[in-house]
Amino acid sequence: MNYMPGTASLIQDIDKKHLVLLRDGRTLIGYLRSIDQFANLVLHQTVERIHVGKKYGDIPRGIFVVRGENVVLLGEIDLERESDTPLQQVSIEEILEEQRVEQQAKQESEKLKAQALKERGLSVPRADTLDEY
Amino acid sequence: QSLEDCPLDEDEDAFQALGEEDEDIDQFNDDTFGAGAVDDDWQEAHERLAELEDKPAAARREQDGPGGEDSDLLGEPEDTLAERLTRLVIDSELEDPAIMRAVQTRLPAQQPGGLNSSIWDSSAVLRRIRGPLLAQDMPSVSVLDYALPQRPPQAREEERDPSERALPRRSSSPVIGSPPVRAVPIGTPPKQAAVPSFNQQILCPKPVHIRATLPQRYPPPYGERMSPNQLCNVPNSSLLGHPFPHSVSPVLTHLQRAQLLGGAQAGRMSPSQFARVSGLVGSPLPSVNPKLLQGRVGQMMSPASGFRAFFGAPPAPPPPSQPQHPPGPTSHLQSLRPQPQMFRPDTTHLHPQHRRLLHQRQQQNRNQHRSLNGSVGDRGGHRSSQQERKDPYANLMLQREKDWVSKIQMMQLQSTDPYLDDYYYQNYFQKLEKLAAAEEVQGDGPKKERTKLITPQVAKLEHTYKPVQFEGSLGKLTVSSVNNPRKMIDAVVTSRSEDDETKEKQVRDKRRQTLVTIEKTYSLLLDVEDYERRYLLSLEGERPALMGERKQKICDMYDNLRGKAPGQERPSDDHFMQIMCIRKGKRLVARILPFLSPEQAADVLMATARNLPFLIKKDAQDEVLPCLLRPFSHVLYHLPLGTVTSLVQQLTNLPQSATASAPTNLHLTAVLQNKFGLSLLYLVLSRGEELQSSDSNTELMQDNQW
Repeated sequence: MNYMPGTASLIQDIDKKHLVLLRDGRTLIGYLRSIDQFANLVLHQTVERIHVGKKYGDIPRGIFVVRGENVVLLGEIDLERESDTPLQQVSIEEILEEQRVEQQAKQESEKLKAQALKERGLSVPRADTLDEY
Repeated sequence: QSLEDCPLDEDEDAFQALGEEDEDIDQFNDDTFGAGAVDDDWQEAHERLAELEDKPAAARREQDGPGGEDSDLLGEPEDTLAERLTRLVIDSELEDPAIMRAVQTRLPAQQPGGLNSSIWDSSAVLRRIRGPLLAQDMPSVSVLDYALPQRPPQAREEERDPSERALPRRSSSPVIGSPPVRAVPIGTPPKQAAVPSFNQQILCPKPVHIRATLPQRYPPPYGERMSPNQLCNVPNSSLLGHPFPHSVSPVLTHLQRAQLLGGAQAGRMSPSQFARVSGLVGSPLPSVNPKLLQGRVGQMMSPASGFRAFFGAPPAPPPPSQPQHPPGPTSHLQSLRPQPQMFRPDTTHLHPQHRRLLHQRQQQNRNQHRSLNGSVGDRGGHRSSQQERKDPYANLMLQREKDWVSKIQMMQLQSTDPYLDDYYYQNYFQKLEKLAAAEEVQGDGPKKERTKLITPQVAKLEHTYKPVQFEGSLGKLTVSSVNNPRKMIDAVVTSRSEDDETKEKQVRDKRRQTLVTIEKTYSLLLDVEDYERRYLLSLEGERPALMGERKQKICDMYDNLRGKAPGQERPSDDHFMQIMCIRKGKRLVARILPFLSPEQAADVLMATARNLPFLIKKDAQDEVLPCLLRPFSHVLYHLPLGTVTSLVQQLTNLPQSATASAPTNLHLTAVLQNKFGLSLLYLVLSRGEELQSSDSNTELMQDNQW
């Protein structure tokens, strides 16, 4: 059954394992069970995967209903090749700790950058003030 | 017609068809049942209601609205308003008297009526269901009622249908323009199943959808065994309205498969029926009556068969056409009769989920035996079937639901002019097809069948939107909706005086004006480019007119480029320069050049050459000048020597009298240092050389200049 050839339609993807990237940066992996015309998704046996560097950790979440507008991209996971990844899986606590450390480091560097710019009399350009094209 | 104002745009077509059905149904009912019987029943019902007057006021008040009125229910303004609201949103309905008639008569005669009256149910809407008519003889479905849980069950039993047919009084005043509270949101997929016409099995009872275990509102008093007919007629059997999974899919399943699944369906049905019957679970949601299902079948077939064509697959035997409802339901009705033999009443009370899983596994096993091993006999097919076997949650999304989503997506693709609406897609596929054709011509490889999406082309329909009007209301109520938004802000354009503006603002405005000019010229350009296609599509008589339009547009474009004042001398290239400073402007010029006449094109070239150093400086960031090279070279090809000579002069800025050499050098230097300038100069020189050497009649003066 070929639904709408030549288009991007999620109907063929149903009941397959998918990786979904959300707008807030979260990565969800789950079986796509149901969709609708807005690309709202129902994910089953969902796992939230946190990546830090070469490590990742999975948090089992259960059933997710994702509003379509929050999806950045999603792709089918090849179950056979799912396990050959160079990344190393760690426990949840460990990955959360790693994530916290990473966030902290990023904040530090941002602060330093802003400080340096301020010293030079410049300001960080914010995206919303760019008027001219 | 309130039908057209339904906010559910995607179901609009279905709704309109339903509207037509409504009229058919009404007539049918009138003929069948007549007015006389109704009145009697009405009076009976009223008497019974009068008895209820003694009951506690609280219980009564809820029925008071619908039941306590002496005269026609529709007379009450508030009820009318409420009803109109429901009509608006639910988009349903027979007129109530008709419904009542349908209810009151006996079963056999009633069934066709019931079927018909229920046909108008629309997808995804709450259905009012007749009260617990279970206690009585085979009441019919039809009437829609709100599933208000607070209705006391015992009172319902005593109430007759007429009392229920009106919208029950809401405790809060009806909010105008807002849809009434509904348990089932608008966006849910249709709950009815479409019976493929070639499949003679009846889908009378619907499958229970396992996931929701809903409390049953009215524990039915009937026994465990019911004939399928009875089952069908049970209105509030709290069968959840979920469409049939596989027996329904009319589009692409095998005939046999569908039938087999239908059999599995039937088997599945009865246990679920009994589960419901024995009061395992109740339902706060009103469920769609199975009758509605069948009636609906005819309706749903049309979109399904519609996009069968979309897939380019050979259509199965076409279902009966929609408008003929009486034959539709009756055929289903007849096919209802043989049902009893197919039913295998199963008294095992499985938990709904277990039952479902069991049947899924059975069905999957059948799948594996049949279709998957055939055409898709490769590893992939096997693997997926194995996985399906292990995956108990597969097919949670029913085939019908998939088709529904697909239908919506296809509807979005409907267009009157695909070249206008979907230009890039059309072009892309044309390119692909050309490639494929070329490949086929060259190689003798296996012809790859690429299925192409055939988008429906609809005639343009003018839908005049009439804002919804409430009858009987004082004054004009403004209802704000998507099609009729309310004006929130009064935005007034105030033109500023020239004095106040600072220099910066002026510069910015000028730049903005240039941008606007570029955009306008671009639209002209797109139109001009499109003329060729239109030319081919148009009739002979229209072609000169088209050509004329095209010419006019080209002139307009040129004017835009060079700045207005067509009749005057154009001393300054300022306007043109402004355009050329902007990246998009340069691209625009490159695209326009092929359309301009030689003189105009030469003019453009000259202007560019004249100001080349300036342009080069400005282009440092964009680096778009090279795009002009190609059209320039085309133009050059057609230029006479004189022009070319002057062009060279411009480029190098050689003054006639050889004075002031310093600025000259600068100009030339800049030109030479830039890739574009260099290439342009080279082109011009080579062209000049060609012309000079080829044409033996060159005048001496020109030669000298050169």
